[in-house]
Amino acid sequence: MANFRRFRPGDLNKLSKCNLDPFTETYELSFYLQYYAKWPSLFQVAEDQNGNIIGYIMGKLESSPDVYQFSEHYLPWHAHITAVTVAPEARRLGIGRLLTEQLEAAADANDAWFVDLFVRSTNHKAIAFYKSMGYSIFRVVKDYYGDHSSDPTQSSEDAYDMRKPMKRDVKKEHIREDGEKYEVQPTDVW
Amino acid sequence: MAYGYGRPALKSTVDVQLQSAFSDGNWNAVVRLADKRAKALKDNYYEAIKVCAESQLDGAAERCGILVAIEDLVKQKTVVDIDTLELYEWAASDFLQSEIEYADTLGPLRVRWAKANPKSPLALQCLQACLEYWDLVSAQQISTALDKAYLNSGDRRYMFWSITLTFLLSISPQCSESSRKVYSLLVLKQLERAAEITENSPKMDIKDRGLLNEEEICLYYRVLLVHGNKDDYIKRVQGNSLGALALLRKGHKLLFWDSLGVLETWGEWDLIFDLSRQALRLGLEGVTPHFFVCDWKVWKTFIAAASKSAKPEAALEEVQSILQDFFALKTKKPDTYKKNLALALLEASSKLYSLSPVTAPDVKGMTSRVIQLGLFLEQYFDRLSVFDDVKEYVSCLSFEEVQTLLEDIFPSMLSAQSDNVKGVILGSLICKIRYLLSTCPQTLSRHPSITDGQQQAEPYRCRVCSGLTSLPCKHCLKSIIVEAIGTSKRISADSDLTDAIPRLDKDPRIDLALVIGLSLLKLSGLRPGALEALWSPTRDLDPSLFLQAILIMDAQLRETPSDNGLRLILVRLYLLLGNASHAHQLWVPMDVKRTIHDALSPLFFDRISSLSPALFQGSRPLMEPLRSYYSSSLRDQCPLKTWEAFSSGSYTSLLDMVEYDGHLQRSCTLMMTLVEESRATRAFSGKTEMEIAENPLAWSIQDDTPLVNKTDYGSFSNLESPHGPQIQDFVRLGPELSNERAHLAFLSEQFADLLSFRPPKEYKPAKAIEAAIRDRNYVLERLTHLNRSLATFIHHPKTPSALTSAELGHYTIVSLLAAAALTSLSTSRADPTPKNMSLASSSIRTTLMSLRASSLQPAPAHMSATCFALTNMHAVSYLREAALAVKHTAGFVLAFHERELARDRSGKSALQRDVVAEMKALETVAAKILSETKAHLQKLKEALGEGGWLDRLLGWIFGEDEQAVDGDEELRRAVSDMIGGPEGAEEWCGRVLEGWREGIKGWLMVRWE
Repeated sequence: MANFRRFRPGDLNKLSKCNLDPFTETYELSFYLQYYAKWPSLFQVAEDQNGNIIGYIMGKLESSPDVYQFSEHYLPWHAHITAVTVAPEARRLGIGRLLTEQLEAAADANDAWFVDLFVRSTNHKAIAFYKSMGYSIFRVVKDYYGDHSSDPTQSSEDAYDMRKPMKRDVKKEHIREDGEKYEVQPTDVW
Repeated sequence: MAYGYGRPALKSTVDVQLQSAFSDGNWNAVVRLADKRAKALKDNYYEAIKVCAESQLDGAAERCGILVAIEDLVKQKTVVDIDTLELYEWAASDFLQSEIEYADTLGPLRVRWAKANPKSPLALQCLQACLEYWDLVSAQQISTALDKAYLNSGDRRYMFWSITLTFLLSISPQCSESSRKVYSLLVLKQLERAAEITENSPKMDIKDRGLLNEEEICLYYRVLLVHGNKDDYIKRVQGNSLGALALLRKGHKLLFWDSLGVLETWGEWDLIFDLSRQALRLGLEGVTPHFFVCDWKVWKTFIAAASKSAKPEAALEEVQSILQDFFALKTKKPDTYKKNLALALLEASSKLYSLSPVTAPDVKGMTSRVIQLGLFLEQYFDRLSVFDDVKEYVSCLSFEEVQTLLEDIFPSMLSAQSDNVKGVILGSLICKIRYLLSTCPQTLSRHPSITDGQQQAEPYRCRVCSGLTSLPCKHCLKSIIVEAIGTSKRISADSDLTDAIPRLDKDPRIDLALVIGLSLLKLSGLRPGALEALWSPTRDLDPSLFLQAILIMDAQLRETPSDNGLRLILVRLYLLLGNASHAHQLWVPMDVKRTIHDALSPLFFDRISSLSPALFQGSRPLMEPLRSYYSSSLRDQCPLKTWEAFSSGSYTSLLDMVEYDGHLQRSCTLMMTLVEESRATRAFSGKTEMEIAENPLAWSIQDDTPLVNKTDYGSFSNLESPHGPQIQDFVRLGPELSNERAHLAFLSEQFADLLSFRPPKEYKPAKAIEAAIRDRNYVLERLTHLNRSLATFIHHPKTPSALTSAELGHYTIVSLLAAAALTSLSTSRADPTPKNMSLASSSIRTTLMSLRASSLQPAPAHMSATCFALTNMHAVSYLREAALAVKHTAGFVLAFHERELARDRSGKSALQRDVVAEMKALETVAAKILSETKAHLQKLKEALGEGGWLDRLLGWIFGEDEQAVDGDEELRRAVSDMIGGPEGAEEWCGRVLEGWREGIKGWLMVRWE
């Protein structure tokens, strides 16, 4: 059983089901509160009947700083998914999908052009999940991650920058069909 | 702008020479140059530079000049220019944390400037600076000035900043009682006016001073809740433009969600029913997304409201009808909502059943709710969360329904299962439910507890197996263990099943190991009460069954290391077993860090210094990650990210963040961090880096500060029914963190700090007599405070249940010592013997002896003395702490007496003779106990060094003692088989022994003086 609602700081005391999972990063308090302070409608949680958090999504709304306006890497007003996680016991119930849809609804409500996210290029499960939700690869960020999730001999891993156009992007101007071919460096990513 | 420790830039008009001296931090040069410029240019700004530069010099007088300068400015009532203000704020930043209050100094200067220049962008910086120092009085004044200045500009931000700050001030201790009412009324009226504007405007404009967006509206409701009345809230929440449903229609759920909670606390069930029904209908009609409010909480509250209505049957039928409408929706239903609907149906049928528990005449237990439960289980039995989903419903079934579940529904589900993998998943779930039922009181019936004048050991009859039993039913537990072991072995032996496991969400053997482990723990006699009431947590336990339980769960964890539920239980069990190093090894991989420290770290670190000081001797200080988390999170006076919330218009976020910060500042885990570290440091080096009360993290903690415990037990695999204690209560050493325990620990550390204080060697006061009097007065003042506070907490009615017996003994002694020390130092040679001295002294002695008796007590007959002592280290630790406290107090008083004798040869200022004699006697008793305790540990070390330990441990595990396994051969064989016989346990025994040896080695390194 689950509830979907906006995050509140008291939830930080009920994160164990999600954050003891080794694939979920635990951040400093200021990081969570920054999102809650600036983009509360993009920080949503799923909780179980005992108030334990069994999934959450953190996102933000932003554009590149004006100085980059004429750069080819300039990002217009958009929503970004910073973190999304579902506790092991709550998987296969569509919770991740619902949380993502809620963030997309908030992105539309805030007139964003698209929602984007970064994912490890070897995380096939996550890539398939996002593709099933309408996301596509926009570009490849070379050596974005400072480690490799499956090959300890490698010191870095590429990221896919995936995007889904929102209602504002009627002409689908902010997505690409062949994004895998566009490689950029981490320094190009704002 | 508040610069913290960063240096502000000087005005661009300042010459290059002075600029570079300032930026280089060449303070003597800055003082000299600024002085020259001030005289030449008659510009006060240069005077300010000079004072600020002086504040960076070493001399105390120069450093404090800034304080005098600020005080003068405050008194002058003039507006200080902003550059000077910023310089002063930077120069005074070291003092602002402790010596001076921002609200009395720079805050009013900022207010003056902002009021004089409200339209300047720098006025905003003044507001920000006041917020950074959490000076709400000044911030509120500035925000009001800004609101007035921008009244007609259409910038609505300032209005809501002013409202939010007025509200925060009205609920803050910074607000004087006389102003509180005024601010409360003011903020309420402002928001009511805004609400009226919204309700009366057909279309709101962005410039209107009404409530426009969700944050503003929810802010109004938050204020209404605190300062308004219930009727107004209820009226508004049903309103057409600002009500909960109105916001839902616009896609905003927050108010609806919050109002359900508020109305529930008020018992407004009819309104809850109405709101929920309308909200759900909005989904059905497609006004909102279909499942927008199909949350479990909404259904649960809706159903609860239906059952409390005047016509509950009709209301519940309406609930079911709405549920059917949702089921009938043609759109695709997300799985989680489908499950919510199925559970809501179960909840509704359960509520309906409780209203009129009719059953079919032929099958007594086949009620509607059991049928519904069966249907739910059929659909979801292979989901990880299914046990938690149905736990509440299974726990409230009548015995007849339980029988139907066990005898009809489960067998038919099993026989209908053709898939072997699903079959074992179902088998594992049934084992968990059978264990759950063994913890439910309805499976037992009372049996005469006295027969033929004899007290019966088994005063219940189990309705499941019909046997006589104590609580819980041992026969059922044994049968569950045998069945679970059988299922587990069947899985391991079938390659098709083991091959399928990686494709499953969870290896079913984890749950089976858990059921086996928990059942063995219950059979061993592990009880939450026993942990709290007895000195030794494991005294009452059957060691054989207790060790078997740990061994089986440990073996499973090694196979499936990612299972945190099992891991957490094992961490606690190893701590109970006196094997902290092993517990630590299991704790570390969970990587509890940063934000989750506050809720999770007590699961390992609580009482850790009393269990294993050796852990504090590692390369990285054990508590450092916790300390560093609190230091970074509570670094500033204002809650983190306050300004971001303000500038983003996230007013409800801001209020929640302030509340969260308040809880974090007075967290029991924070206090645990400080106390455990302080104790461990004293144990090894004898002297802490800083007194505990001097730690900035403890500055806000006063005796009347309620400390809050936020420990999160959510990840424990908990199979216990809600009718009794939960698993964390079984496997915890003593009561959980509490306000009372945290305060007592804090006060006793302060007492230890006072006793161990030694002035620096360089301290040679010119007027020795005056200094000695000052010191004596200071010590008496501190002792008076500690004595009063310790006595208050130790005599609080909640205290005995918040402590282990060892802690209660220790804190009682510390409290008595504070009283004895105060009495001693308040006497002089000529005074009569103080009446309460001998009473305090004899109470200390009695409590100490009682602590000694229980710490160094002989082992129960069925247990090895060494093994028993190893599981009793918490009590031994507090015996040492208490004896050291006695010794140090006596030493402190006697040293004072000696100093006075040396200083004043007449002897008049020395202490009273009987007092001195009592203290000497106490010192002797303490020294004797310390020596006994040390010898006890030495003996333990020697005993552990002897040969034959492995065989001895194996002997306990496999029950050489017939009584240990109650002569149950089937159980003995099954468990032995599961473990793999003695060969399978050898490696584990070796690890346990190693852990014990490490622990004792650490104990022998601690100080005994």
